[in-house]
Amino acid sequence: MTVRGIKAEQNAIERSKNRAHSLVIAVIGALVIAALFVSFAIGRYPIKPPELLAAVWAKLAGLLNRALIPIFKQQINIPEVSATTNAILWNVRFPRIVLSCLVGCCLSSAGAAYQGVFQNPMASPDILGASAGAAMGAALAILLQLGSRMVMLFAFGASLITITLVMLISRVARGSQVLRIILAGIMVSSLCNAVTSFIKLVADPNNILPEITYWMMGSLAKTRIASVKLAIIPMLVGLIPLLLIRWRINLLTLSDDEARTMGVSVGKVRFLVIVCATLVTAASVSISGLIGWVGLVVPHLMRRLVGSNYRHLMPASMVGGALFLLIVDNFSRNLLPTEIPIGILTAIIGAPFFIWMITREREEI
Amino acid sequence: MSENMLSVRNLSFSYGTHDVLRDVSFDAPVGQMLAVLGPNGVGKSTLFRCMLGLETRYRGEITLGGKPIRSISPRQLAQQIAYVPQSHSPSFNYSVFDMVLMGTTARVGLLNSPREAQIAVTEQSLERVGILHLRDRGYLRISGGERQLTLIARALAQQASVVIMDEPTASLDYGNGLRVLKQVRDLAREGLTVVQSTHNPDHAFMFADQVLAMVDGAVAAFGTPDETLDEPMIEALYGIRAKLRHVDGVTSVQPIF
Repeated sequence: MTVRGIKAEQNAIERSKNRAHSLVIAVIGALVIAALFVSFAIGRYPIKPPELLAAVWAKLAGLLNRALIPIFKQQINIPEVSATTNAILWNVRFPRIVLSCLVGCCLSSAGAAYQGVFQNPMASPDILGASAGAAMGAALAILLQLGSRMVMLFAFGASLITITLVMLISRVARGSQVLRIILAGIMVSSLCNAVTSFIKLVADPNNILPEITYWMMGSLAKTRIASVKLAIIPMLVGLIPLLLIRWRINLLTLSDDEARTMGVSVGKVRFLVIVCATLVTAASVSISGLIGWVGLVVPHLMRRLVGSNYRHLMPASMVGGALFLLIVDNFSRNLLPTEIPIGILTAIIGAPFFIWMITREREEI
Repeated sequence: MSENMLSVRNLSFSYGTHDVLRDVSFDAPVGQMLAVLGPNGVGKSTLFRCMLGLETRYRGEITLGGKPIRSISPRQLAQQIAYVPQSHSPSFNYSVFDMVLMGTTARVGLLNSPREAQIAVTEQSLERVGILHLRDRGYLRISGGERQLTLIARALAQQASVVIMDEPTASLDYGNGLRVLKQVRDLAREGLTVVQSTHNPDHAFMFADQVLAMVDGAVAAFGTPDETLDEPMIEALYGIRAKLRHVDGVTSVQPIF
């Protein structure tokens, strides 16, 4: 074979490997869609597949009619669906299912991003105190009995203020950028935790304290479409840049000097990634409470499937996170007669899964 | 003066009150291998950091093709000067191919991933250092010598005219060290300007075209190995009395205890 022939073949291998990784991402994406249908069907009030399809079609047809009647002067027939089915499907299950996908996607991609920029495979979305800050804000709003909407806003605001404080402290501290940010994160988180503990101490143990405790366990149970609409904006504002800048995250996993000699403005890129990852974490935590492990387990699993290259790892973590949390949330609402807070379940599943994964380390790659 | 000549003029650098570099001046000849010799802590690494644009608070001037490197953006500089660190263990196990592909980043848009053109350059770089067969292996699962060759391939993928290497053979065994240096000299023969630090004067005799000998942060000698590395210079550099032996046109250092 000629040299050119060999080269062409090797280029073809590279392309096919890229395709294999893209295929993995597409398969997970397809599984998300399949899981969506299953999630709509199951619940305390089961909806049979024909009824589910009818209800979905009715909704689509309704939307189509509204858009198309002025043009075609014709109506698509809308099948009959019971009011109960419609209410459960669209007011209860739809927002919750959408949110579980979004939160899973956000926490998992934030985890992958933090692991890269902090050169640490054990970094998780709450490493800088986004969760501790959100918990403090939520606890304060619950203490003041401001209502669920304000709890979400307080959590989001406190989370962002916490991270801003961490970044400001890290700027004036000395040492390497990574070390400064992580140390500042640990200090500010522990300060937030102390404030939260104090709020719990003074909270009324009959009604306020249980509410704070329950919020911290993480739950998607009370999701309404209005709060999803509110949270989706910061989520998208963070997710899109993370997806766009993903190649450069690879270089941040090396030493700063190395990345700089390869033409990367290390400080700026790391700052951008941290801001985006924090934004999506804060948006997720403020609406769902503390849901751990997603940001650690899913990126690691995806590294096994598509490798360390963020070109594939970032989109894989996004769809993988959505799938993971959607499935876990189904267990959360169906496993026992009473709802199990999802944060408890992710920990019960996540920790053993992670142990299994790290003990298999040697076999792979 | 050549277009890509890297020149250092009156370079001085200090950490606080501690002077690390004093009035260093030299030219890195184009298409040649320059070995920088000196004892530990003499300022070789600092000199390299200045030449790579990682330190900017120096006095004096470093120019590339007549242009001060302080005025060149990191991305532009990366397209002209590449760095080969000592072989290391990053936190994540990238494939050898991906590791080399990262070298192309300076030519990839901020929001893009490498495309066909960069993949082709990566293939060529792997082939030039003879490790194309390692492409799918994990970087953390190959030997130290193979890692060093991967990092050299990465510098080639950067398509820079100058490559700066920090003791490329420091962690390698005797055979791997020599193979890596042979490879590097072949690249210099193809037109690359190579600046590398080394602790082994034998390596300088075997492979270097020029030698920069440093004592106490200043230039002690600059010229061909035979001109610069005489017996008193070896003693001045390392505090070891030595005798030079010339066998079959090769000079080697024989320490005297």
